[in-house]
Amino acid sequence: MTPDQLSRIREEITREGVMICFNGTFVHSIIEELGNALRRYLQEQEEQKSAALDVFSVYIEQAQNIRNYLARKKFTDATSASAIIVIARRGERYVVSSGNVVDGEDQAALTAQLEQVRSADAAELRKLFKEKLRSGTRDPAGGAGMGLIEVARRCAEPLQYAFHPVEGGRSFFCLTAVI
Amino acid sequence: MELNIPRTNATPEIRWDSASGTLAITGESYPENSFDFYEPVLEWLRHSLPTLARLRLEVSVSYMNSSSIKCMLDILDAMGEAHAAGAAVEAVWSYETDNPRALDLAEEFRSEVLFPFVVNPVGG
Repeated sequence: MTPDQLSRIREEITREGVMICFNGTFVHSIIEELGNALRRYLQEQEEQKSAALDVFSVYIEQAQNIRNYLARKKFTDATSASAIIVIARRGERYVVSSGNVVDGEDQAALTAQLEQVRSADAAELRKLFKEKLRSGTRDPAGGAGMGLIEVARRCAEPLQYAFHPVEGGRSFFCLTAVI
Repeated sequence: MELNIPRTNATPEIRWDSASGTLAITGESYPENSFDFYEPVLEWLRHSLPTLARLRLEVSVSYMNSSSIKCMLDILDAMGEAHAAGAAVEAVWSYETDNPRALDLAEEFRSEVLFPFVVNPVGG
């Protein structure tokens, strides 16, 4: 990378208030280490323990969702097997954004799930959470199907998402949570 | 039967003290795979609960990811079955008072069980 490119990336990251940015393979040890770093930042910046825990929780659920999905999918090309997560501070809010490749066949179910949590208020999210808790969803990679509901419960705004088509009928799925 | 799982950064300490009849879960819980992590605990409960007259569960966990919450419910369900069969089971769930989410979670668990479940505030 040239010094110019590096400067541009650094300027953009600074302007966006990025605290942590990672692009690569999501393995548990990395999720854990980034989580530790995030907590140290939050400890310095955030007076409210519960707010810091909300940000940490959203990060963990998003990162583990991606890890579990990619562990299930076993994509073989490096681009699809890796993902990005960015945690930034915007004024009084924190923003956790993540992006990963999803199979075309999974897009409809994911969209339906996102729309369901987006349109639910706090009481409905609580109900959905309880239903999922009792539903017995278990994927062998470790997912309980509750991550998105847990993320939505801790957000200040409805989740934002988009699918950008990439090759092979797949999409790059972007999810943004504002806490 | 012994149960003694040491604490790590992402997993709680889980320890059975047969002298006091206490199963203590302490720390934070966001394992790589919660179902794998909690399976030995559920296995221990399935094996031990029928032989125990009483069991006190003490939980002091400041953060739990969603799949850990599901596993915790499995633990409480196993205790609920023992309770229905006549065992004296109870849970004491401690939470830090400066963490309202932890209180919400404790209340949600309490609403899921039929045996004594004490929510215990701890000065944070």
